[in-house]
Amino acid sequence: MIMAEKIKCNVYLDGRLIGAVNDGAAFVKEVRKNRRLGVVSGEINVALIKKLNEVHINADKGRARKAYIVVEAGASKYTSELKERLKAKEIDFNYLVRRGVIEYLDAEEEENARVAFTEKDLAPNTTHLEIDSASLLGLTMNLSVFPEYNSVGKHPITSNFIKQSQGLYATNFSKRYDPRAFLLYYPQVPIVNSLAYRTLKLQSHPTGQNFIVAMSTYYGYNMKDAVILNRAAVDRGLARSLFYRSYTDEERRYPGSQQDHFEIPPPTTDGYLGEHAYSKLSEDGIIEEEVNVKEGDVLIGKVSPPRFLEEQTSFGVGEEKSRDNSVTLRSGEEGVVDSVMLSETTGATKIVKVRIRSIKVPEVGDKFASRHGQKGVVALIVDPSDMPFTKDGVVPDLLLNPHSLPSRMTFGHLLEMLGGKAGALKAEQLDGTPFSTHGKDLVDQYGGILENYGFDRFGDETLYDGRTGKKFDSKIFNGIVYYNRLWHMVSLKLQVRSRGPVQILTHQPTEGKPRKGGLKFGEMERDALVGHGASLLLKERMLDQSDKAEIWICPNCGDVGYYDYIKNSAMCQTCGNNNLEMVEISYAFKLLLDEIKSMHILPKIKLKSE
Amino acid sequence: MKDEKSRSMVTPGEAVGTVAAQSIGEPSTQMILRTFHSAGIASVVTTKGLPRIIELVDARKRPKFPMMQIYMEKGIANKYEKVREIWRKLEDVKVSSVVSQFEEDFRTGSMVLNLDKERLALYEINPRFIVSKLSKMESITADVDGDAVKVKVKKKESIKAMRTTFVHVLNASIMGVPGINKALIQQNDDDTFYITTSGSNMEKVMEIDGVDKWKIYCNDPFEMARVYGIEAARNLLANELIGTIKEEGLTVSFRHIGLLADAMTYTGTIRSAGRHGIAGDKDSVFARAAYEETVKHFINASVFGEKDPLRGVAENILIGKQIGLGTGKVKLAVKKEDIKKLKSKER
Repeated sequence: MIMAEKIKCNVYLDGRLIGAVNDGAAFVKEVRKNRRLGVVSGEINVALIKKLNEVHINADKGRARKAYIVVEAGASKYTSELKERLKAKEIDFNYLVRRGVIEYLDAEEEENARVAFTEKDLAPNTTHLEIDSASLLGLTMNLSVFPEYNSVGKHPITSNFIKQSQGLYATNFSKRYDPRAFLLYYPQVPIVNSLAYRTLKLQSHPTGQNFIVAMSTYYGYNMKDAVILNRAAVDRGLARSLFYRSYTDEERRYPGSQQDHFEIPPPTTDGYLGEHAYSKLSEDGIIEEEVNVKEGDVLIGKVSPPRFLEEQTSFGVGEEKSRDNSVTLRSGEEGVVDSVMLSETTGATKIVKVRIRSIKVPEVGDKFASRHGQKGVVALIVDPSDMPFTKDGVVPDLLLNPHSLPSRMTFGHLLEMLGGKAGALKAEQLDGTPFSTHGKDLVDQYGGILENYGFDRFGDETLYDGRTGKKFDSKIFNGIVYYNRLWHMVSLKLQVRSRGPVQILTHQPTEGKPRKGGLKFGEMERDALVGHGASLLLKERMLDQSDKAEIWICPNCGDVGYYDYIKNSAMCQTCGNNNLEMVEISYAFKLLLDEIKSMHILPKIKLKSE
Repeated sequence: MKDEKSRSMVTPGEAVGTVAAQSIGEPSTQMILRTFHSAGIASVVTTKGLPRIIELVDARKRPKFPMMQIYMEKGIANKYEKVREIWRKLEDVKVSSVVSQFEEDFRTGSMVLNLDKERLALYEINPRFIVSKLSKMESITADVDGDAVKVKVKKKESIKAMRTTFVHVLNASIMGVPGINKALIQQNDDDTFYITTSGSNMEKVMEIDGVDKWKIYCNDPFEMARVYGIEAARNLLANELIGTIKEEGLTVSFRHIGLLADAMTYTGTIRSAGRHGIAGDKDSVFARAAYEETVKHFINASVFGEKDPLRGVAENILIGKQIGLGTGKVKLAVKKEDIKKLKSKER
């Protein structure tokens, strides 16, 4: 038996075993000391995994790392002296990193660290300190306000919504050809904003507007997550935005010195869309600026050579056939041609970019969200005369159902409402940086401001019903919330179909919005109808509304025949019979029969009269 | 009474199979995939939740955790000593389970088995008993050596062969019913005792005196069908399914489960509800081809020149005919022309 020797600690570099040390903890300590001194690269992270008695050194690319202030012996290495020097701009951040005051930890080393949240939390065994408490959250969450008062479950939702918001995404938008872009008409700086918001200078790239919000129901029109908008506000440009969509096309070259050409396609081309579709093109085959376009209009006329090589005809070299390959406006969209750009690619071919602009006025079905994961879909746009109003005559822009708050625990939303109202009265921007405030103090502070201006300290106000003029029984909480308009809009999603295009192979309706498709009636839906015994409804769905086909069956040989319109009689190719029966079957079945035939199996159909 | 009965009947043309499938399928999606089993001495391990349902519906030849409940004959059921005697005969005890340590000596071709006294006491056996059981093996001799048992091969062989022999010795069954890993005596509310086992062997258990031969429960449908018949297996399937669903806190009407169990067993053997069972035995070529292994079914159909009368649901949806269910079940007995003829005659 081998005597119980002290087990050595294995060391792994980027997952590969490179050696062993006697004391892993001491080794890790040594590496970290040297890293802070700058002897070892600061890009190295080392972690001791106690459970496995292993040391993992990571130096590979692609690790997410986060900066922390180093704490030694319970004291932050970022001293007040350094603080002064940094303020005086004698030193910079990189100086602190070089000096080992700040270091970056990766996921594995973080497991060994004890990080204090604030300077108050420093304890003898603390190893690191957060640079700012707010850095606990990511970038997008830092653009929100008071997130620490919200349920954690709402944080990922909030950051998703912020990313989907429309605003001023770039100041050079007029020079850009983004595949699609949104631009808010009157973006505003939020009244309550955060340190990160100001640091990132997002005041010049706002993502939304300050809405006057009243926490009230409205005749059942804002149930669940529905919201009510004020028509007066919408008419004055509230949340109005521009929608840009760019179309690109290129004169491609093909083998055999063939090439695409931008031009108005001649009527002889394959797939000619009709004279009307090309009517808005100018001579060069490209649309003009500031032209109104609607669905089906051609934006870039393009003629391509045929897809397959021409068969030799008896007439010798005939006229070269061409194919229409024009770019048309997407189905269901309309707008104005904003700009046209002509350029050349690296392959020395012509390239055209056309940008279409359309105005998106908020309408029923558009999506809005505050910075607290509180989304809502516009359910009704109410005339200002019918909206509730305060004694001062203030009419809210948006009515939010109060039921959307308790179960979601987004107290930050309430604080923002109060803060927004206070900030608006005082004509001042207020701060809502994560973890920088104390809830009760905030309410007192905001309440104080509101009382100074003669309002209720909790933001409640008496509202009057616009329809009847009667006072509401209870006071209604209202305030100002920064709302984002998200880019999920009905006008880009709405689609209807009764009859429309079908697939070539199966003769069944196409799928998806760009192809004007139908909605899938799938296997489970089919089973539901079977379960109800609704046989005729089922037949209508699966046959009449789908791929009904009339085929001719030969009673003699059971094979599929065809109808000869010249001779005006049906015809069986197998046995020459002219006495065929017409049956209605699904085209998919006919296809199946054909495919079975291709497998060298001959299916025969026996007919029986009902 | 008669009215009550006729009102309870399913309407003709009701899609009972589809409704049953939906009714079982819907709660199944909510079931948690729980495969773990709880460790413990006082309980017998069984599969639970969705895995158990899959096991039953797929008609696996042997469940992952077979289990039995054995009840005693009337006079014995309340006497613990008698029940314990039966219990002693049940558990499959192997030599290795009473051995605490063993030493092999390949030079002399012998092995010394040191016995675990606690184990011996538990099973109420002594070394002599083990020797008597081992002596039945042909290739070895066994002797009592103090507290231990000494085993020696009769003919010296290669080390590998001897090692195999010794493994056989260790795996030799001393007592009990083969297949039963563990048995536990449990008490009913009315002070009668019954035994639950993990592992099952109904045939052998029935041979034991004192066991109520008409009241053995086993969770293996195939074993149930073999011993008690297909009706018992059908009831077992249905009860196990509904029990598993109930355990998850969900409810499904017994009629749906009963229909599934009936469909699985009405041929006299247990068929799975998959491509090798119910779905694979369908009459229609198209229905089978629409389910799984399309090409195989078409080729076989062409080889045997099969005819598809297009009577089922799947075929009719495929070709686009009205299905023969629900509103499609009924047809007019009198044709329009006949009515006209009748009317003209009346005139």
